[in-house]
Amino acid sequence: MAPSTDSEFVTIVSNDGFEFIIPRSAACVSETFRLMLSSTNFPEGRTGRCVLEDYSGVVVEKICEYFCYNEKHKDQVNVPDMDIPPELCLELLMAADFLNT
Amino acid sequence: MPLIPRVLSQIRPQTNYNSRRSALTDYLASNNISAQQIRDDWDRRQAEALRQPDQAEQESSNAAEESRSPSVLESPEDPVKKRKRQQAIARIKNSKEFAKRKARFNGDYDDEDDDDDLALQIHEEKNRPKPGQLANCEICDKRFTVTPYSKAGSNGGLLCIDCSKKQKADEKKPPAKKRGPGIGRRQNQANLLDGLTPHGTQSLLETCIKKVADYIHDIEDFGDLPPSLLLRLGQILSRRRAVTSRTLDLFLRPKYTSIDLFDCAKLGTDDYHKILASMPRLTRVNLRFTTPLKDPIFHYMMERDMEIKDLHLDGPNLVTDACWRQLFMKLGHRFLSLKLWNLDSAFDNETARVMCLHCPNLQRLKLKFLHKLDNDMLEGISTLKSLQHLSLRFLDETETQTEPLLKIIASIGPQLETLSLEEFYLADDRLLQHIHEHCRHLTKLRLTLNSTFTDKGLAAFFTDWSNPALTYVDMNSLRDVDMTNPAGPEEPIGLASDGFVALMEHSGSKIQHLNIASCRHISYKAFEQVFAEGKMYPNLKYLDISFSTVMDDYLARCIFRCCPALQRLVVFACFKIRDVHIPRGLALVGTVGATIKIDGITQTETI
Repeated sequence: MAPSTDSEFVTIVSNDGFEFIIPRSAACVSETFRLMLSSTNFPEGRTGRCVLEDYSGVVVEKICEYFCYNEKHKDQVNVPDMDIPPELCLELLMAADFLNT
Repeated sequence: MPLIPRVLSQIRPQTNYNSRRSALTDYLASNNISAQQIRDDWDRRQAEALRQPDQAEQESSNAAEESRSPSVLESPEDPVKKRKRQQAIARIKNSKEFAKRKARFNGDYDDEDDDDDLALQIHEEKNRPKPGQLANCEICDKRFTVTPYSKAGSNGGLLCIDCSKKQKADEKKPPAKKRGPGIGRRQNQANLLDGLTPHGTQSLLETCIKKVADYIHDIEDFGDLPPSLLLRLGQILSRRRAVTSRTLDLFLRPKYTSIDLFDCAKLGTDDYHKILASMPRLTRVNLRFTTPLKDPIFHYMMERDMEIKDLHLDGPNLVTDACWRQLFMKLGHRFLSLKLWNLDSAFDNETARVMCLHCPNLQRLKLKFLHKLDNDMLEGISTLKSLQHLSLRFLDETETQTEPLLKIIASIGPQLETLSLEEFYLADDRLLQHIHEHCRHLTKLRLTLNSTFTDKGLAAFFTDWSNPALTYVDMNSLRDVDMTNPAGPEEPIGLASDGFVALMEHSGSKIQHLNIASCRHISYKAFEQVFAEGKMYPNLKYLDISFSTVMDDYLARCIFRCCPALQRLVVFACFKIRDVHIPRGLALVGTVGATIKIDGITQTETI
């Protein structure tokens, strides 16, 4: 199988099996993902598939939403903060810390 | 008909006094019967009945119709009304308001019909019921009380609440407000001051922390937040002044050894007990604005023989001198760092002496704005043989002397890594010479608010100094202050051209943080020389050059070229910076009305 580093998209998987396919450049906003995906030494780097064992589909969806939001607005000035549902914010905070985003 | 004259005769005397209203007038008004109108109608009918007795009946019904809905156009065969209206319209046509509206609506072409319509419209608007009066809804014909917020219908009449709501819902909502130039300027500036760059999104982490801080009152437990995040949350909550007894509980972790709260003003004495009791393994206590902290808290620490190594307290003014001394005697031997700010009623020179005697292991000492301290306490500091970081700032009215400082530098200078001496106005070049001679390990140097050092002294200080390059230099406000001679004396005082060049020669390779605000005698040439082509300051992240009035767009460009890692450039009062192109990721703070373009940002938006 060809190394996935060529592929333009990566797959992020939640612990309850939801899969999110997002552009590689967007995912690499996260330092953790960037390191995982850039090296072929990690299975993630070879397959382009990252499994977040600790987070549910709802949280992972929000994370992916942020990646795309960030990608979309990266060249703009005075971007408002992305809206985060309050009930998710603590879990997202932990995830953001883990992902170094 | 006979009813009306009778009522009229009763209310007529009352209506002559505008200031007084009878209960009957109120009652009639509440039933929408206007005494004035009734009288007018009656008078007119009387007059007309004399002329045209057979038309009287019809008149009265017309009048009733009119009183119900004044905006509805009267039938053309009402000559009096018509004449009156035409007179009113003619008056309106001559008025200023009419001219204004005409200019707004019609542009410049002239049309008689349009004029009439417009004048009629104004006439109707003027005749609308005033707030507090009653009117009939234009759509549903229901009676309602007019308020200043009553909406006008499409035919000029007013609408009742229900109908206006319906109409409002029908109207298309205006598009969402777009953030553009000018909007949120204050917020943008505030963000800049926090070092946040204005482009792109904030990190998810920061967004989440803010959200958590927003909903702090709904959170029962943080779960397993790592200490770094807890610290950041503590900072944000402190800034919002949201640290209360209730939110404090979220920060109390028996397992953790440190607590940092930057605003304890809303905590009670019991809360301090709670902190100490629920975190028995505390080694680092960093609490600011600790007004309610009292002696018993320190007694508790001593009783439990707590292993506190770092004690950072801002404003514990209710603690007595006796208690401070006791604390140092009991726990002083463990202290590695002690930072105290803003003490006015306690902590005198004697306490400071006890501190120096009983805390021999102190590595860090910071004393700022301790009202009762002066030069006499400085002697003790030279006995602290482990001290590596020293920060001192007395009150500005304290007469500081150079000699005690020389003693400190001579005795502990060689091991010092940080030296921060603020507001020692009268310290002279001898201090610089001593630092030059004795200090070999300094990485952070702050010498600010002084008007005695000479430029020559500073240049000599940085030239051939065997101390390795500094990473943090703060030399703000080293300048001569003489209102009558703004250009300064011939021999420059403070950090001027030579001193600045020597400083950058010495520390340029490693320097990360440089503050030379208000060093206003640094010349354009010196800046040009320091930020010349080919010069590189690869680590410089923070640069404050406020009040360097020579700074202009060209020099700013030179700075950006020489400092690739620069994240914040502070330029308050550098009014010659008018139009700059800044690199991405840089926060330019303090420009006034300058045009700022950011590399790689497509929008042509100024900040």
